[in-house]
Amino acid sequence: MGVYTATALLSVALVVAAELLWWRTGLFTSLRYWLAMAIVLGFQIPVDGWLTKLSDPIVLYAESDMTGVRAPWDIPLEDFAFGFGMVTLAMALWVRNGRRESA
Amino acid sequence: MEHGQYLWLMAGCLAITLPLELVLGARVWRRPRRLLRTVLPLVVVYGLWDAAMIARGSWSYSERYTTGVLLPLRIPLEEIVFFVVIPICGLLTLEAVGSVLHALGRLRAGEPLGRVLRELPRGVPEAPATADDRSARVGAR
Repeated sequence: MGVYTATALLSVALVVAAELLWWRTGLFTSLRYWLAMAIVLGFQIPVDGWLTKLSDPIVLYAESDMTGVRAPWDIPLEDFAFGFGMVTLAMALWVRNGRRESA
Repeated sequence: MEHGQYLWLMAGCLAITLPLELVLGARVWRRPRRLLRTVLPLVVVYGLWDAAMIARGSWSYSERYTTGVLLPLRIPLEEIVFFVVIPICGLLTLEAVGSVLHALGRLRAGEPLGRVLRELPRGVPEAPATADDRSARVGAR
């Protein structure tokens, strides 16, 4: 547990709260969101895996700022929270912006 | 070439998701203003978080596999590209899934396969751009 662990969890909490309390796009009750997130997760593994592989890393992490759990391959567990929050934020903003345009 | 490895990975992500726009009718690249208004705030927020973590030393980047171009707040160019490219890939996925679900709804409503496939690259008709596909599936033209 470290700063990356804490901020990654916080980012997910903030994005989910903003969607549920503020934007209310209905994303979380839509089938396409969950299907898309499953596909995104599937592609995160090779891309993130390539960036973080300990044998020849592109991104190097300070182990003291995270749980140290790395799987699959050497992907830090926190990266999955980071990715979930970031992609969900993009989708929520996108749907909200679409509504404003057509309104 | 080696210093471009991170950027090439991002270029690969854009290339592999391009058929979602061209074949499956995602209509993300075709809405540049909406895309800009979506990606810009995200880049600012995640860029600031990234800058703080870099300054703290939580993570750093291989000098070998990055260009070494640093933007304000010492954020590597590659990171900003990441915060643009990955969300776009996510949006293309969301819209392509929506488009395919919409097409399946039309098939179930009895529309001919040929026409549904021919019109697939056009994506979901403009009107109610909601996140709810169940309504989109019912409302097949």
